Amino acid sequence: MDLRPLLCAALLGAAASAQAADAAGIVKRLQGAVTLQRGGQSLPVAPGTAVQVGDRLVTGADGTVGITLADDTLLTAGPGSTLLINDFRFDSTTNEGGLLASLLKGTLHVVTGLIARQTPQNVNVQTRNALMGVRGTEFIVDARSDEP
Amino acid sequence: MMPRLLALAAVLLAGCAPLTERVILLPAADSAGGGRTGALSVKATRGELLLAEPYAQADVIGGEPRLLKSSPEAVRAAYGALLAMQPPRPRRFVVNFELGGDKLTPDSEPVLEQLRLALAANAGADLVIVGHTDRVGSVESNDRLSLQRAQTVRERLIAAGAAPERISVAGRGEREPAVPTDDEVAEPRNRRVEIKLR
Repeated sequence: MDLRPLLCAALLGAAASAQAADAAGIVKRLQGAVTLQRGGQSLPVAPGTAVQVGDRLVTGADGTVGITLADDTLLTAGPGSTLLINDFRFDSTTNEGGLLASLLKGTLHVVTGLIARQTPQNVNVQTRNALMGVRGTEFIVDARSDEP
Repeated sequence: MMPRLLALAAVLLAGCAPLTERVILLPAADSAGGGRTGALSVKATRGELLLAEPYAQADVIGGEPRLLKSSPEAVRAAYGALLAMQPPRPRRFVVNFELGGDKLTPDSEPVLEQLRLALAANAGADLVIVGHTDRVGSVESNDRLSLQRAQTVRERLIAAGAAPERISVAGRGEREPAVPTDDEVAEPRNRRVEIKLR
């Protein structure tokens, strides 16, 4: 299975929804080296930093970061991780929306939020070799491979 | 002899393919997920499987997901530090109002004090504030009143140290009662603002 078409579709979706300029989430906790890569720039991260669709969070060997998305999804990335928020849409009135995040390497703990309760088929986490489809749940993904 | 050796080599190589992904389904820690463990499908290049039990584990090796079983002990040993850095679970607070206006009931002041303490302990906090009314008055006037109540709570929480740019405010009027009533019934429990602290 080639995940590239899916990723490309998600990136197109990301470009459209990023214009809404609403934060997808907020950094809640961090320790060690954590940077946020946005539009070719590397930005500092602190509790309260807004995370947008298209952002890439990179943790160092001693770094961990915890983010809460607008639908109450909790994402925690462990040391040596690269996490990309490909797509996030959330309607706070109907709780409908979608989430696609990519763990390019490292570890990720996920507690799914309101979208997964309303439209679980729209919540996905992918790695280089696998796609996780959520049905209302909490889980860990550990991506060992960091080959290109 | 040669084909046999090749076959053996192929088996050994397949056995040596590296583990590329490990996925573990955890039991729901609280009622945020409806209290259910839920399920997770893991789809890789050479197969798909469903994790449906707590601590079910998928190891992806050579593109093939294999079903294994983890345990609370194994998860704690390998991922304890990760689990310890989770953002706080969202917390919910409710304050109530006197009839027909945006004056908080005396009972609501201790709730605001709890919120003030929680805000002080959470540097990255964000707040979702949603106002509601009972069914006395028109739908339109209740839409306005519910928003006004939410704004009142917003001002109080900004004074308590909340970051204005991380507060969202909405009014739902009489549409989402805590206690369903007939029209024009004054129900104190429905005159409320619900606050979600994350």
